[in-house]
Amino acid sequence: MPASTHLGSQLVDLCSVLLLLCCFAIVAQRRLSACVDLFALQSAFLAATAALVAFLTGHKHIYFAAALTIVIKVIVLPRILRKVIERLNVSRELGMNINIPAGLLICGALVVIAFFITQPIIPLGYLLTRDSLAIALAIILIGFFTMIARQKAITQMVGFLVMENGVFLGATAAAYGMPLIVELGVFFDVLVAGLIVGIYTHRLQDAFDSVDTSTLTVLKE
Amino acid sequence: MTALLTVLLACYLLGGLLPLCTTRLYLQNVFAHGCAAAAGVAGLVLGVAGLLSTAPLTLSLASNIPQLTFALRLDPLAAFFVLTISLVGLAASVYAYGYVEEFSGRVSVGLLGSLLNGFLLSMTLVVLADNGFFFLILWEVMSLLSYVLVVTEHEKPGVREAGLFYLIMTHVGTAFIILTFLIFFQETDSFSFEAFRHPDQQLPEGLRSVAFFTALIGFGAKAGIVPLHVWLPYAHPAAPSHISALMSGVMIKTAIYGLIRVYFDFMGGVFPWWWGFALLVLGTVSALLGVMYALMEHDLKSLLAFHSVENIGIILLGIGAGMIFHTYGLHELAALGLLAGLYHTINHAAFKALLFLGAGALQFATHTRHIEEYGGLLRRMPWTGAFFLVGAVSIAALPPTNGFVSEWLVFQSLFLSFQLPTLFLKLMLPIAAAMLALTGALALACFAKAFGISFLAQPRSTQARHAKEVPRSMLAGMGFLAGLCVVLGLAPMLVVPLLDRVTAPLTGAAISSQVLALDGWVVAPVTVEFSSISTPVLAMLLVGAGALGLLMARLCGKGLRARYYKTWGCGLNLTPRMEYTATGFAQPIKQVFETIYQPTVKLEQEFLEQSKYFIKHQRFESHIEPVFEKYLYQPVVALMLATADRLRIIQAGSLHLYLTYIFVTLVLLLLWAG
Repeated sequence: MPASTHLGSQLVDLCSVLLLLCCFAIVAQRRLSACVDLFALQSAFLAATAALVAFLTGHKHIYFAAALTIVIKVIVLPRILRKVIERLNVSRELGMNINIPAGLLICGALVVIAFFITQPIIPLGYLLTRDSLAIALAIILIGFFTMIARQKAITQMVGFLVMENGVFLGATAAAYGMPLIVELGVFFDVLVAGLIVGIYTHRLQDAFDSVDTSTLTVLKE
Repeated sequence: MTALLTVLLACYLLGGLLPLCTTRLYLQNVFAHGCAAAAGVAGLVLGVAGLLSTAPLTLSLASNIPQLTFALRLDPLAAFFVLTISLVGLAASVYAYGYVEEFSGRVSVGLLGSLLNGFLLSMTLVVLADNGFFFLILWEVMSLLSYVLVVTEHEKPGVREAGLFYLIMTHVGTAFIILTFLIFFQETDSFSFEAFRHPDQQLPEGLRSVAFFTALIGFGAKAGIVPLHVWLPYAHPAAPSHISALMSGVMIKTAIYGLIRVYFDFMGGVFPWWWGFALLVLGTVSALLGVMYALMEHDLKSLLAFHSVENIGIILLGIGAGMIFHTYGLHELAALGLLAGLYHTINHAAFKALLFLGAGALQFATHTRHIEEYGGLLRRMPWTGAFFLVGAVSIAALPPTNGFVSEWLVFQSLFLSFQLPTLFLKLMLPIAAAMLALTGALALACFAKAFGISFLAQPRSTQARHAKEVPRSMLAGMGFLAGLCVVLGLAPMLVVPLLDRVTAPLTGAAISSQVLALDGWVVAPVTVEFSSISTPVLAMLLVGAGALGLLMARLCGKGLRARYYKTWGCGLNLTPRMEYTATGFAQPIKQVFETIYQPTVKLEQEFLEQSKYFIKHQRFESHIEPVFEKYLYQPVVALMLATADRLRIIQAGSLHLYLTYIFVTLVLLLLWAG
């Protein structure tokens, strides 16, 4: 039976698509706290995907990665980000480099590009999860795009974390996850990045009375 | 010998670590310089043992990095350089024991001593390394440590700029050395020197010539060959004096080592005639320009730095002549040229280190490096003066000191060019010899200036008036090198056989029995009848003539009474303002070589309104054009700055823009690859 018609494979695809939908929601969302919530939701879907893959393939270490995802990306990081938002007293992002309708159109184009790029690669794979690779790439690109389109440091952090989710999904899709030690390292990195951005936005607020990273241009002599 | 090598390495390592473990200044000083001196003694013995041993000592330690093995090899060439490094290292560390007092309070003595040990260790290992990768690592360590040592007094103006300039130049050099080794790597698929030595197949001629040039530029930047010499007069004066002595005395010699290693060892001594000729031309230009710019320099250490350029030129003349002879199969003459070059290498190490230590002693006593502010120091610092005089006589190549012997040998090898088959070279080598003669004369003038203005007559400044003799350990360091200069000059019969063991495997001809006629008392390149010299006899003649003079004075002037009185100054009271200044001393030479110096003289005078015979005040300015910096380096720097200015357009400073750059690149690459 071909892998793509397998029930498990279809379930994995479904979960991946939910992740992608979360991405679009983040791009379309102006409220910062909602962005963070959407990120937490996306991470929850990611954990579900990982657990599903672990169940289908019997790779025990993916369960562990899923558990870590829940702890760090669903609980700890959103909490840090919410705290930063509360302290900064900004709830909405008004100015954007690219407005929302245009952004959504570009994201659509990015998804097309991602599928176009992975087109020749996917038939070469034999894993259950191989179709998710295109979605993972799309998520990475959209996360990156969010970092460019938004001006507030927090949404940029969210964009970064979305990218990381995409990388995680890609690793699971392409190779049933990375070795555990690498996963641990990546989780640690993400956590540290979250902390650093927390401090950095604080400093930014102090120095410029704003968390808009566009103000950093004045640093250029 | 393995045991000796272990002792050597252990001493340097201890000297690097121990001073950092204690906070007591005295202990730091003792540990650092004691260990360095002990390692110096071990290196001395190791060097001599390595020269005398029949088979090279090899040690190797594999690593799990591809192509890198920690391989050491002590062959005669390496042993000779270990000996040179250890001799100067020993003197410098003894000297430093007293000298670091100058820095106490401003610079951490422990750190300075620790870095000194690291620097000596890296230099020793550079010449011992037997793997290209390992060599490059050590070469970089040596360059970086010397950079750190140059900027020891980074709070002083100009020191950091000098350090940066040095760092850039040395890295450009390293890049070219890497290129050289990569070319050899292509040929042998290995970075081991052993494989470089015995390649499976010869490199194509064109690639070999490229390797020749890359090695010449790479090592030339370190050696200070014109036009890559510009960093020397900045970096050497900026460093503490014992470090300058090491940098000028031995570090730049590691580049000479590299050149000989690559040309004679790796390339098997097979090369076209124009390689040697290129070295000869560069050597002549370096020697001449080095001494000319030295003459115009009134900062004692800058002056010495320019003399390093000169002496590297003389060494290259010897090596270049040797290479030319080697091309034409005149192996004995090739050995003679190379031997002369190496002889000058160790001689220059001895006298240049001595002079730098002497300059350091003057700076220690007067806190200035400017010659015009010295004067009358011989009376106040008799020992320093005497040692400096020995160094000055040696560098000016006056008999019977060591500089004379080696320069004479270089002359001889150049004169023997009549045995060459081509007319062009028969003409060119004697021209190089003539230029060398001019260099020698100018060097003599330069040191007449340096010694005379610094040590004779009356003090020109208060610092000079209150100068005191330096501590004993500094005198001991200088005295050791002064003794070495005399021994190397008087005893070529000890030195030549040792050097012969270095040159014989490289050129295929042993010449020591031929060069040393009459049981070694006479040095004769071909035969005693053709040309020969005996420094011991010359020394005896000099001493004898002096004694004879004294005797005559005693005999003839018996009834005369000696009366000591101050110099007659036409009835005026003598003041330092009447003295000959260094600028005045060099003025005639500046006039003669005006085309090269392109001097600018500016005199602004303001007269009294009543009469133009009374000057209210005047201002005199005189400087020479730094030709190489202006016409060679400035355009390059200007071009780089202009390019950087253009590139600044894309550096908008906006985070989003940078992210967009990355994003667009990523998507384009993905699309292109897909």
